[in-house]
Amino acid sequence: MGRIETVWVGRGGQGIVTATYIIANAAIIDGYYAIANPEFGAERRGAPVKAFLTISDAPIEDQEPIKMPDVAIVFDDKLIDLMRFVLDAVRPGGYIIINSGKPPEEVKKIVSRDDVYIVVLDAIDIARRHVKLDVPNGPLAGAFSKVMGLPKLESIRQAFENQLGKAVEENFAATKEAFETATVIPPARVDPSARPKGVISTTSAFLAGPYEIVEWTAVNKGGVVFPGTSLHYRTGGWRIEKPVIDHAKCIMCRKCWLYCPDDAVIEAWREVEGPRGRKFRMKAIEFDYDFCKGCSVCAEVCPTGAIQMVREI
Amino acid sequence: MMQATLRERQIEQKRIALTGNHAVALAVKMARPEVIAAYPITPQTPVVERLAEYVNNGELDAEFIPVESEHSAMSAVIGASAAGARTFTETSSQGLGHMYENLPIAVGMRLPIVMGVAARTYSAPINVWGDYGDVMSMRELGWIIYIAQTAQEAFDTVVQAYRVAEDARVHLPVVVAYDGFWTSHVLQPLDVPADEEEVLKFAPITRNWVRLDVDNPTQLGAVGTPEWYWEIRWQAVEALRNSAKVIEEVDVEYGRRFGRSYGLVTRYMLEDAEVAVVAYGSIFGLVKKAVDRLRKEGIRAGALRLRVIRPWPTWHLQKYLSHVEKVLVIDRSINHGGPQLGPMAVEVGATLGRVIHCALATVGMRAIDSDMIYEAALKTHKGLWVAGETYTVGLRGGYE
Repeated sequence: MGRIETVWVGRGGQGIVTATYIIANAAIIDGYYAIANPEFGAERRGAPVKAFLTISDAPIEDQEPIKMPDVAIVFDDKLIDLMRFVLDAVRPGGYIIINSGKPPEEVKKIVSRDDVYIVVLDAIDIARRHVKLDVPNGPLAGAFSKVMGLPKLESIRQAFENQLGKAVEENFAATKEAFETATVIPPARVDPSARPKGVISTTSAFLAGPYEIVEWTAVNKGGVVFPGTSLHYRTGGWRIEKPVIDHAKCIMCRKCWLYCPDDAVIEAWREVEGPRGRKFRMKAIEFDYDFCKGCSVCAEVCPTGAIQMVREI
Repeated sequence: MMQATLRERQIEQKRIALTGNHAVALAVKMARPEVIAAYPITPQTPVVERLAEYVNNGELDAEFIPVESEHSAMSAVIGASAAGARTFTETSSQGLGHMYENLPIAVGMRLPIVMGVAARTYSAPINVWGDYGDVMSMRELGWIIYIAQTAQEAFDTVVQAYRVAEDARVHLPVVVAYDGFWTSHVLQPLDVPADEEEVLKFAPITRNWVRLDVDNPTQLGAVGTPEWYWEIRWQAVEALRNSAKVIEEVDVEYGRRFGRSYGLVTRYMLEDAEVAVVAYGSIFGLVKKAVDRLRKEGIRAGALRLRVIRPWPTWHLQKYLSHVEKVLVIDRSINHGGPQLGPMAVEVGATLGRVIHCALATVGMRAIDSDMIYEAALKTHKGLWVAGETYTVGLRGGYE
């Protein structure tokens, strides 16, 4: 088998690290050597996370950051653009496994590569039905096992036992369903001698912000930080679902505005047309999708059912 | 590695998968400490959590003291050890700094405390990630200091540490350090004894150290006036110096029983080397990869890993490195204001009696790969880097 190098990308809270631990543990149960070496960042919910997992039939002594993976696993289709450098680095003939509720052909278009296997599954839907949580890691483990031929499903169950110690059967049911139902789009052409478009650089990929990466002579003395703003950190990217309002049902009670933990419910002026064609402006509830995290509190508290949550990934 | 003739007598092992932290917790559980006092701090927290679980679910019959600080953690294990208990604590970074006042007391009282350190840099700025700043600040206190490379080695070293610490020729506290995150949080395969009683058989609690006993009243930690302090302390100095022999003995016997031994230092292709890279901790696998690449290109490269830095392996370094023309030490901690800015580079240079090459890397857990180590070794080999200076690997705007 040689050595399989994989990169897992997702957001804090999606269980990326746990997923690599589970696959590595299961591969070790199967008799392989494996090492799960996540990149540890700020460990903040929603922050981009990248984890490495290497499986080999020989002992692995080097914890080399992976530059050209055989497999990339993407926990959230909204990360595709942000993580384009990972998808571009997958070796021709390799695999890109993506959690998405979109039709597989549409996902293929977004990925825009035709020299790799693209594996699509709605891991959120599967996880919700079996685990009752938005954690796509169990289903993604199942899809991994399906296309890579390892680790064995039974070993994944044992790894759930070791790594989670709870909800083993629920997680395993999700893994199994993904194993059976994930859609695999084979590559149109594979030139095994070709190199991928890019490599993943060793420097942390998550230096993302409105700042310049400067040399030591130019950083602030003492690491002093000046007053700033969180406006640059568009937390809306974390959403699985977004709130959508039916203005006809809204009674402008503003309960959603009161309860929104992120100040993402806004009162906006909306131009409407009256019955006799007269245009006038009226206040209406809207959402600031740059910062709405999709927690669905607004939909919960809405007394008229005007707010519905709609799947985004 | 052990010879085939000895293998049949070895203790049966089972293959499992754990992070470095959980491997340490398991080794501690198997060594059956009687008192554990620890305060959680990243990246060591999973050790403390796992040990608390073991005690809570009855797998480990120990007194678990959830102290309010690291200062109290070290105080509690000193007290418990002085009362004759086998003890364990673990910390990182500023947590180690907070227990600093008590660290030399454990040495002076000759208490066989075993402590884990998931190595992490010191603040400020706040950085929870791994480098060896904390461990290096322990060098002058009289503790035995191990630095493990993998989860497997961390497991094995904890077991060895109890045997060494409680040996009547030693009676000193021991710290087992390993990379914060790059070992502590990396899941790896490891072999552990199928029957955990074997660990206690290998390292039985000797209880032969000086301790408090109501039937034979003694006082520990009394005043050592200028007429007495030096002599009492000197016993600890000699014990640490002589512990090298015990460490090696225990390591060899561990290898015979469990199938794995490591030495004070680990060598790689040094016999005919013209350039050698000296490093410690988890990055040694990358160093070996860089050496392989240099060899492929016709450069006779080699590598050495420091596993025990207190007592200092003087004789081994002289034996294995004296013939090597260029020695590059990759340090993972800053020796602020020193003659060279890498703490181990200064010590290796003093040991070899010549000025050597020094580079700093992974500070604050700055990422590294084998290509970067290869480049550093190549620059040393080609004479682009000068002995006696300090270079940096990965610092923006640094000295490369």
